[in-house]
Amino acid sequence: MASVAELKEKHAAATASVNSLRERLRQRRETLLDTDGEASLSSPLLVGDPLSWGSGNSRAFADCSVCVRLRGAVARYSKSQGRAPVSFNPTDLVCCRTLQGHSGKVYSLDWTPEKNWIVSASQDGRLIVWNALTSQKTHAIKLHCPWVMTCALAPNGQSVACGGLDSACSIFNLNSQADRDGNMPVSRILTGHKGYVSSCQYVPDQETRLITSSGDQTCVLWDVTTGQRISIFGGEFPSGHTADVQSVSINSSNTNMFVSGSCDTTVRLWDIRIASRAVRTYHGHEGDVNSVKFFPDGHRFGTGSDDGTCRLFDMRTGHQLQVYSREPDRNDNELPTVTSIAFSISGRLLFAGYSNGDCYVWDTLLAEVVLNLGNLQNSHDGRISCLGMSSDGSALCTGSWDKNLKIWAFSGTRKIV
Amino acid sequence: MGSSCSRSHSFDETEAAENAKSADIDRRILQETKAEQHIHKLLLLGAGESGKSTIFKQIKLLFQTGFDEAELKSYTSVIHANVYQTIKILYEGAKELAQVEPDSSKYVLSPDSQEIGEKLSEIGVRLDYPSLNKERVQDVRKLWQDPAIQETYSRGSILQVPDCAQYFMESLDRLSEVDYVPTKEDVLHARVRTNGVVETQFSPPGESKRGGEVYRLYDVGGQRNERRKWIHLFEGVNAVIFCAAISEYDQMLCEDETKNRMMETKELFDWVLKQRCFEKTSFMLFLNKFDIFERKIQKVPLSVCEWFKDYQPIAPGKQEVEHAYEESFIRFVKKKFEELYFQSSKPDRVDQVFKIYRTTALDQKLVKKTFKLIDESMRRSREGT
Repeated sequence: MASVAELKEKHAAATASVNSLRERLRQRRETLLDTDGEASLSSPLLVGDPLSWGSGNSRAFADCSVCVRLRGAVARYSKSQGRAPVSFNPTDLVCCRTLQGHSGKVYSLDWTPEKNWIVSASQDGRLIVWNALTSQKTHAIKLHCPWVMTCALAPNGQSVACGGLDSACSIFNLNSQADRDGNMPVSRILTGHKGYVSSCQYVPDQETRLITSSGDQTCVLWDVTTGQRISIFGGEFPSGHTADVQSVSINSSNTNMFVSGSCDTTVRLWDIRIASRAVRTYHGHEGDVNSVKFFPDGHRFGTGSDDGTCRLFDMRTGHQLQVYSREPDRNDNELPTVTSIAFSISGRLLFAGYSNGDCYVWDTLLAEVVLNLGNLQNSHDGRISCLGMSSDGSALCTGSWDKNLKIWAFSGTRKIV
Repeated sequence: MGSSCSRSHSFDETEAAENAKSADIDRRILQETKAEQHIHKLLLLGAGESGKSTIFKQIKLLFQTGFDEAELKSYTSVIHANVYQTIKILYEGAKELAQVEPDSSKYVLSPDSQEIGEKLSEIGVRLDYPSLNKERVQDVRKLWQDPAIQETYSRGSILQVPDCAQYFMESLDRLSEVDYVPTKEDVLHARVRTNGVVETQFSPPGESKRGGEVYRLYDVGGQRNERRKWIHLFEGVNAVIFCAAISEYDQMLCEDETKNRMMETKELFDWVLKQRCFEKTSFMLFLNKFDIFERKIQKVPLSVCEWFKDYQPIAPGKQEVEHAYEESFIRFVKKKFEELYFQSSKPDRVDQVFKIYRTTALDQKLVKKTFKLIDESMRRSREGT
């Protein structure tokens, strides 16, 4: 029987050796990736024009058998080809609606694919469904647990899902009758998570399936009609996240795949048919990953993090293709964190909401900020907590801790980008 | 989308209806927000095992607001749901334990029980729980009384079996009466939502109750994850009640045997004070497990905790006032927390209320007195501004 002192010593030695192994792993990873992308740019690696997104060029990258960090390669190549940044006049994107009505900070929003409805969730414990065209409210649902962190609209627009500190996901049927006090009955509560529900998304074209991410370090695929968990991603299985999961994004080109971003600074790719292990883990961020979104072509995805940067990753190869980082603040204030991101319909623009109220519009190719919605007239007065693109790509909706939502539309001669 | 900024389409009936509905919603939100102004929110925070949940339960038992009949009745469906949920968790728990436990035979159900179990689980799958009638109650009772289920229940803590399990299972006949109206105790046991955050509403007797003022206490102890990701949801609560178990100055954390519990509490308190969302929030500090502390300091010096290293003991003989010896310890600890409070807070905090209370969560009288004091102090600061 070992003495307590001996056991303590062994524990300390084991901890030290784990830490040193971790450090060695990190260094090795750095060296493997730390090749200057320049040399490889002229190689047959980059077959075709990476500027014509969506033409399957990631295949070219995948053929590469050497691990190359293409950090910044996308921007460098684009510039070398003489591509100019997308130019924006202050009038090309305007705030055309302010949706007022919440009495607390807005935490989450989602658009429907049809009907132009937006659902928003707020710290005041309400979900409000808005008609984006008229700014009228069509539904206001008072939640039993006011600590809501996420909401989503079903593909057919008939129901909404929301979740938060109650560690559950509640589903409301928008067609049900409200009672005398205007309260809407819950039609289903998905319980099983052991921590807060940070985000939820319906599987495209399937209003019966939903994926949630949670503070309990797992993601879950639910069958809404039975309330059962179909699969659990992470948790007891190795290769799952090792800290709270903040966000999920389902690949609309291949709905069997989704990515999840976590406080463990990584993003993981999952195949819903194989819950036992993550397909791939993406490293690069140095802080909590708050938001993940698939790029329109489904071959790449974007991320936003507490480290103040957004990044673009290649789904299949795992390469970090581009980093979008802000200029450091001259006043040396705390670096604003990225709370949420969205892509324009072509992917040429990356919208990023920040904790200080900025909303940068990044030129995805050239990694330059072309517009800051936070500087425009009528901008939000507080942190941008969520944003989302309409399905036809003509408008962006932002939600803020200033209790409002705003709709920004491309106007004038500016085509949808 | 941009061009629809100016509404050029003609006025029509559906539009009028939509406008009316939207205006209706606005009115309702306004009404509800006004109605909530008399609800004062309190957030319970503290390290693990600091006594938060005991305080929470005490409040529930002490200060129930008078539920009227309609409110009581509204809990019937919740209570019935709790019965179905509980028996389902136990049934599935028994199946699970039968597979993974070494002495699995304890958890194997009789064929009859299995049939009932499947039937009851199927109910849980439907959209709405059917009400509990005599027939179903018979099934539930039969299953509850199966020795395998009882064995499973004894392992309840690892299975998420709700606390109300036994209480409701023993009252099945009463719950299934056609004209059943839940009692106050039934309501106290009812589990409205699952883990994560629990709340209780109460009104300490006196001025506040007469004025219709009500407190809502939230305990987020169920979350074992990154606080920084959800703490800002609580911006705007009227007060944070921070529980510090001061008897733990010589104990280490379960999760990390090298970390002193008092140091952990100190760091947490510091972190909470620095959160921007609490800039305008009052703080009530509960120096909890006070009785255990008093006994412990006779034997274990305060200096075993790094934070208290600079304690200067007074000689035990020199007491002019009774208990001056123990008093000096508690005053020292109190001073340490006060220093931390003023150090960690931004200058504007000076206007916020900060009160320290010695508590022993298990002492009902003391808890009641403490909350009366809190109520008075909060009322005074409400009237003052």
